[in-house]
Amino acid sequence: MKNDTTEAVLLEQNRIMTRRRFVGLSGASLAVLMFGGTLAGCAGGDEAPAEGESKQDAPAESASTDTTAADSAAADVDFADWDAVLEAAKGQTVTWYGWGGDEARNNWINTVLAPALKEKYDVTLELVGMDINDVLTQLSGEMQAGVEKGSIDFIWINGENFYSCKENGYLWGPFTDYLPNFNDYIDPESPEVLYDFGSPTEGYECPYGKAQLQMWYDSKAISDPPTTVDAFKAFCEQHKGQVTYPEPGDFVGTAFISCLIAGVIGKEEFEKLSSMSEPTEESVLEIVQPGLDYLRELNPYLWKEGTTFPADSPTVATMYADGELVLNMGYGAPQELVETGQLPESTRSFIFDSGTVGNSNFMAIAANAPHKAAALVAINEVVSPEMQLSIYEDLSGISVLDMTKLPEEDQQAFADVPLGETQIPLDELLAHRVSEASGPVIPILEKLWLEQVAQA
Amino acid sequence: MVDRLALRRAGRAVAPYLLMAPALVLVAVFLYGVVGGVLQGFGIMPFLGRTDVTFEYWQQVLTRPDLAQSVSFSFYLALASSLWALAGGIVLSAALCAVRQTRLVALVDVQIPLMCAHILVVLFMVSLFSGSGLVPRVLHCLGLVAAPSDFPSIVGDASGWGVLAVYAWKEVPFVAFCTVALMSHVSDRFGEAAATLGASPLRTFFTVTLPLCKGALMKAFLVVFAFAFGAYEVPFLLGPTLPKALPVLAYIEFQNPDIANRSVAMALNGVMALVTTVAAIAYFVVLKREGKGR
Amino acid sequence: MSGQEPEVEAARAASAGTEGPAGGGRPRRCRRRKRNGAAWALVALQALCVVGPVAIIVLWAFTSAWPWPLLFPETFTTRGVEELFGPSQRLGEVLATSVGIALACALLTVVVATMAAAALSRYRFCGRDVARFAVLVPFLIPATVFAMGVQVAFLRAGLSGTVVGVVVCHAIVALPYAALIMVDAMQAAGSRLEDQARLCGAGPVRVWATVTAPTLAPALLSAASMSYILSFSQYFLTLLVGAGKVKTLALVMFPYLSSGDRTIASAYGIVFLAATLAVFLLFEVLLRRQVSREIDYFNG
Repeated sequence: MKNDTTEAVLLEQNRIMTRRRFVGLSGASLAVLMFGGTLAGCAGGDEAPAEGESKQDAPAESASTDTTAADSAAADVDFADWDAVLEAAKGQTVTWYGWGGDEARNNWINTVLAPALKEKYDVTLELVGMDINDVLTQLSGEMQAGVEKGSIDFIWINGENFYSCKENGYLWGPFTDYLPNFNDYIDPESPEVLYDFGSPTEGYECPYGKAQLQMWYDSKAISDPPTTVDAFKAFCEQHKGQVTYPEPGDFVGTAFISCLIAGVIGKEEFEKLSSMSEPTEESVLEIVQPGLDYLRELNPYLWKEGTTFPADSPTVATMYADGELVLNMGYGAPQELVETGQLPESTRSFIFDSGTVGNSNFMAIAANAPHKAAALVAINEVVSPEMQLSIYEDLSGISVLDMTKLPEEDQQAFADVPLGETQIPLDELLAHRVSEASGPVIPILEKLWLEQVAQA
Repeated sequence: MVDRLALRRAGRAVAPYLLMAPALVLVAVFLYGVVGGVLQGFGIMPFLGRTDVTFEYWQQVLTRPDLAQSVSFSFYLALASSLWALAGGIVLSAALCAVRQTRLVALVDVQIPLMCAHILVVLFMVSLFSGSGLVPRVLHCLGLVAAPSDFPSIVGDASGWGVLAVYAWKEVPFVAFCTVALMSHVSDRFGEAAATLGASPLRTFFTVTLPLCKGALMKAFLVVFAFAFGAYEVPFLLGPTLPKALPVLAYIEFQNPDIANRSVAMALNGVMALVTTVAAIAYFVVLKREGKGR
Repeated sequence: MSGQEPEVEAARAASAGTEGPAGGGRPRRCRRRKRNGAAWALVALQALCVVGPVAIIVLWAFTSAWPWPLLFPETFTTRGVEELFGPSQRLGEVLATSVGIALACALLTVVVATMAAAALSRYRFCGRDVARFAVLVPFLIPATVFAMGVQVAFLRAGLSGTVVGVVVCHAIVALPYAALIMVDAMQAAGSRLEDQARLCGAGPVRVWATVTAPTLAPALLSAASMSYILSFSQYFLTLLVGAGKVKTLALVMFPYLSSGDRTIASAYGIVFLAATLAVFLLFEVLLRRQVSREIDYFNG
């Protein structure tokens, strides 16, 4: 059946091509031959998976041989019984898929988290660095092939992708109720736990860390950073050609224009976007139009007069580090970059008085994860006060724990972590936090930017 | 005796098919993958439970206002970089022939560029030609450039010269790689004859060596063209915000968190495959005609 | 414009005066010297275009910051090296996997491509044009289209996440390149030598071992090195078919290359180049041992 449709499609293409006369007679015959070959190829290709189907269980079997005992136990584990989960997880190797381009974070996972898991629970953690879109491709491929025991255990996921993963049944859950640390230390009613980019998490995601957009500058070159949108515009005029932002579509770029739009239209107005579940271009435009006008007015003062924008945030970051730009932005303070000497000691960060967007990032478990018990153990460990403190110390990541639920000594430990020169105090950040637009709004916002700001 | 002869004849008839078989199996696997991708462009995504053919995505793609611009930008990038690669490749390969390339020369001039992944070459070019790259720094020292913003940065330039520079760096050696062995033999064998007959070296090169290498050059040209037309990495990183190259459009759709958007991405990829296929068929026609002419 | 422009300019100048293939007899020698001067200049220019950027990368691997308008970095770091050889990176293991996969892919591709090339250049058979086109098809279609479909096929066949699956996939990508090289070489070599050998009573295996293989050695080497390179630098396909389980150097390197951390990206870039070069030198040594004499297959 598949073949018939292909045939129709290919014949159709074939006809178009012959009509083109580009080819002449011999070309036409060649084209026919070629698509004949294609068809033969499809037919041949189709047989391979058909044969493979009988072997469908083979990969799963071979995958489980390494941990046979643990795995068979995992199959009928009562996940609500944490001791049983710990027992089942023993000896398992759990894979964590997530973005792999952050050296500091990779190091933290490999040198702090992984040894702790091994020592405490005899769980081996394997970090696989992949772009989230590639993780999704991998996962959807496995789903399509009907692989029951996949290669991915848990994922560092972002909100935009979470919605579509959950909708399509790629995630396992709800699981957060099983986690002792989640139950003890995380406020389940907090909107940052309940919603991820506007879509309800419903226990399919456990928060991993919080982040908030901050702008970075060199205090040697700039004495007072612009903390309002008007000041920012004046700042761009003053540093003509030395300010830009990554093209929205890059998540930092989208977040940055969100901050500016929020500054123009006000936090409350902007946060209407974060609860929109079925936005249309018109409804979004109604809210953000003044913000887009503002962005368009900025263009003449930006890098290359705003005729073009760098494609991604790493490009902007290197341009900033080299001195081509005077301002950079990112989720978090550049403390780590200063400590490794990539940015000068005089680097500071600031936020707008009108706030900057912040979000939580999450961990989710794949529906076909082969080691669910071990994934639960690992996730539970990540949200332990000990590890969250370590993240705060080593990576300057904002903790997802509810401080009021922590024992006094742990609270004190968090308070005792010295603040780096580049860092903004936590309470100040949280007081100027704007909720991000909801997942479905984001692509619309990016499209509007492209049409109204880039094309202007 | 007769039997043996018949057997041999049969063997000769079957032999090419047996020899082709492994390659065809690999191509079949490839085409299986392609068909899967093409079907997604028609909305067939079994993993989302969609099995009905729809032309919606193709229609959506073909009526996009930015499509024409993107196709022509991509076409420009591909054509410019492949012509550039061809010209540079011919020159480089002639030079390599003339110096009787030693292993070291071949290694440095040809093989190192072949080894470097495109994204690594982007890193090279950005560190040289971005607004704050080494070249503007040297110019700054000479007093020609005051600040990074005075230099036409390679990043995001509307002319796409960053993309072309990366492709030139990579593909000139590739074309040379494809032709140098043939060219050195041709120029040795026929060049001498022509020279003995009194032809000037330049004339020999253009009338003897180059025509004899035409087939290999055309193939290399086609490969570079198809690659430059279909690859997204370099135009994504160095191309302008608008217009976007066709593969960049496809890549962005592909990255859209809504997996259903992959259908759009695949339809865009289909457009690319169509263009390159037409180019390839044109090439084969030329090749055929030439075969007859000879 | 690009780094290549001066080269073309120079070439034009060169070809105006002296460019061209070898002249004959005595005048050839003195002409050659003159022409060689220009040719050498071109070759040197290209070498500069190649070595320059590589040198910058080497410098970056040890540099922490290199801001405008410094011509030479002033702050150095060993962060890149530490990252490379950090215990969690398991560089040795990753390198071994990469080299192993790339070698296997090169071998597989060369064998398959040589067989196909033999069929295409030595036999006339029904469907030859289709076959000839078929091996080139992978050139024409963007890899992303093929990758996702093939991922599903391999998952079903149980090849996903295995080294074998990755090798086969890489071979598909490398096949058209290798086939191009081999078809050209075989057509150029012609079959006269082989026919003679066969007339003298040599069996097909012996003909292959003593005549065909040595004649084609340079082309075989080209095809093998091309396949090796393609396999070694393959990212997206390895990711999808290897399911993240088959860790190659490209897989570890690419996230850094696109992360904007130039110190670590450069460090990986150097290892990447060094590993490829090392294997190439090995190829060279092996080849030189195998074929000590150069064979002019045009005169065969």
